[in-house]
Amino acid sequence: MSQYIERYQRRRLISSYFSVVLSIGLVLFLLGILGMLVLNTKKLADHFKEQITISIFLKDNAKPIEIDQLQKSLAMAEYTKSAVFVSKEDAAEQYSEDIGENFQEFLGYNPLKNSIDVNLNADFVAPEQIATIADEISGKTYVDEVSYDKPLIELLSDNVRKISLWILIASGVFTVIAVLLINSSIRLSIYSKRFIIKTMQMVGATKRFIRRPFVLTNIKLGLLGALLALVSLTVVLFYVNNNFPELNLFQDMALLVILFSAVLVLGVAISWISTYFATQRFLNLRTDDLYY
Amino acid sequence: MPESILKLQDVAIFQAQNLILSNITFEVKPGEFVYIIGKTGSGKSSFMKTLYGDLPLKQGYGHVVDFNLKTLQEKDIPFLRRKLGIVFQDFKLLSDRNINNNLKFVLKATGWTDVVKMDAKIEEVLDKVGMKTKGFKFPHELSGGEQQRIAIARALLNDPELILADEPTGNLDPQTSVEVMKVLQEINESGRTIIMATHDYALILKYPHKTIKCDQGKMFEVIQKAV
Repeated sequence: MSQYIERYQRRRLISSYFSVVLSIGLVLFLLGILGMLVLNTKKLADHFKEQITISIFLKDNAKPIEIDQLQKSLAMAEYTKSAVFVSKEDAAEQYSEDIGENFQEFLGYNPLKNSIDVNLNADFVAPEQIATIADEISGKTYVDEVSYDKPLIELLSDNVRKISLWILIASGVFTVIAVLLINSSIRLSIYSKRFIIKTMQMVGATKRFIRRPFVLTNIKLGLLGALLALVSLTVVLFYVNNNFPELNLFQDMALLVILFSAVLVLGVAISWISTYFATQRFLNLRTDDLYY
Repeated sequence: MPESILKLQDVAIFQAQNLILSNITFEVKPGEFVYIIGKTGSGKSSFMKTLYGDLPLKQGYGHVVDFNLKTLQEKDIPFLRRKLGIVFQDFKLLSDRNINNNLKFVLKATGWTDVVKMDAKIEEVLDKVGMKTKGFKFPHELSGGEQQRIAIARALLNDPELILADEPTGNLDPQTSVEVMKVLQEINESGRTIIMATHDYALILKYPHKTIKCDQGKMFEVIQKAV
C-alpha cells in the first residue's frame, strides 16, 4: 500500500515537474527561434535584396566587343553579385514561353533587345545607390536603357528597416515575457508548497537549508527545459536549412554556439533566480500571512 | 533553585497591530507542566507563537531557553526553535515524505550528519511515542492520534529544553486525546518542561498541573478545584 502511495506520489510529482519543464522548454524554444531570426535578419534581407535584377538593354548596333567589355567590367565591379548576358533570341524564347504564344509569328520580327541581367550585392541595393549605378551605365553610348523596379526597391529597403526594428522590439518584449512566464510557473509550484516550507521553518531549519533543495530541483528543471528547447531548435534549424539552403544557417557556427549557450544559461538563470525569490517570499512570511 | 526556562515580564502580545494580551508576567521552571487555557480567540495561540518567534515581542521582557525574545533577530529564530519542541493542533507533518523521512529532515536541518546516529535517534523517539513500526508510512496513512504522536516524536528529536504544545488534542477524539496526553505526561515525568495550550478541561482535571488562563486580554494563574 505504502509503495503504491509512494509510486503514485512520485508519478504526480513527475507530472507536475513535467509541466514546469514543458513551459520552460516552450518559452525558451520560442525565444531561441526569435534569437535565430535576429541573427539571420540581415541574411534574410540580403537574400531578398540579391534577388532584385537590373536589366541593361543594349542597342542593336552594340558591338560584341563592347558587350563583352561591359560584361567584364560589371563582373569586376564591387556592387555586382552576378551579371548574365541574355541574347534577344533567348529573351524572345523565354517571353514566348511566359505568354504561351509565339509573338514573333504575329509581329513578324523580334522587338526585344540583347541585355545583361545584373544582380547586385545586397549592400548596394538601396534606392540612391542603384540610381547612381544605373546613371553610370546609361551613360554608355551602346546602352539603350537601364531598367529596374524602383518602387519595389524602395518598398524592400523600407520594409527591411521596419522589420529589423520590430524584430528587435519583439525580442526584447519576448525576453521579458519568457522571464515572467517561467517565473510565474516556478512561483506557482513553490506556492503549492508554502505550508511545507513554513513547517520546515517551525522545526528549526534555516532559510538556506530549506531553499537549497528547491533551488537545486528547479535548476535541474530549468536545465531540462533548456535542453528540450535546444533539441527542438536544432530540429527546426535542420528543417529550415534543408528547405532553404541559401540561408546558410550553419555558416556561422560561433554565433549558433553563442545562441545555444544563451538559451541554456537563460533557462538555468531564470529558474535559479525565480526559485530563490519565490522561496524567500514564503520564508519571510509569518504563518498567518500564508492564508492571504 | 533552577533558573527559569521561560520568564516573561510585563509582556504584551500583538497580532499585527492589535493588542491581544497585556501585562503578562510569569515564569516557568525546568520540569514544570503548565496549561494555558482560555476560550477560542482568547490569545492562547498568539501567546505560543510569540514564544517560538512566529510573532515578534514588541512590548515587555521575554526570555525563552537562553533567547531574549525582545532582541531576537530573524536569523536566530531557527536556533531558538531547535531548543524548543513544537507540537501543533494540525500536526504539521511534511505530507510529501514518510515518517522516517519527516524525522530525518529535522535531524539534517538541525545539523546531524551521521546516518547511523540519525536512524538510532529516530527509532528512539518513535519508540517513546509507541510508533516504532510506523516509520515507513506516509502522514495521510495514519490516524489523527498517530500523526500527533509522530509530531510529538519530532518535537523530541533534539532533546528540547521546552516543549510548546498548541492545542495538541484539539483535533482528536476524547479517548485519543487521553492517549496523547499520556505520552506528554510521560515526557514531562522524564524531566522535560511542557507548556500546553488547550481548552480541553476534562484533560486538565484528569492531569492537573499549574494552569494559566487567558481571559479579557489578561493572563493569570488559576487554582484548580477538585470536582
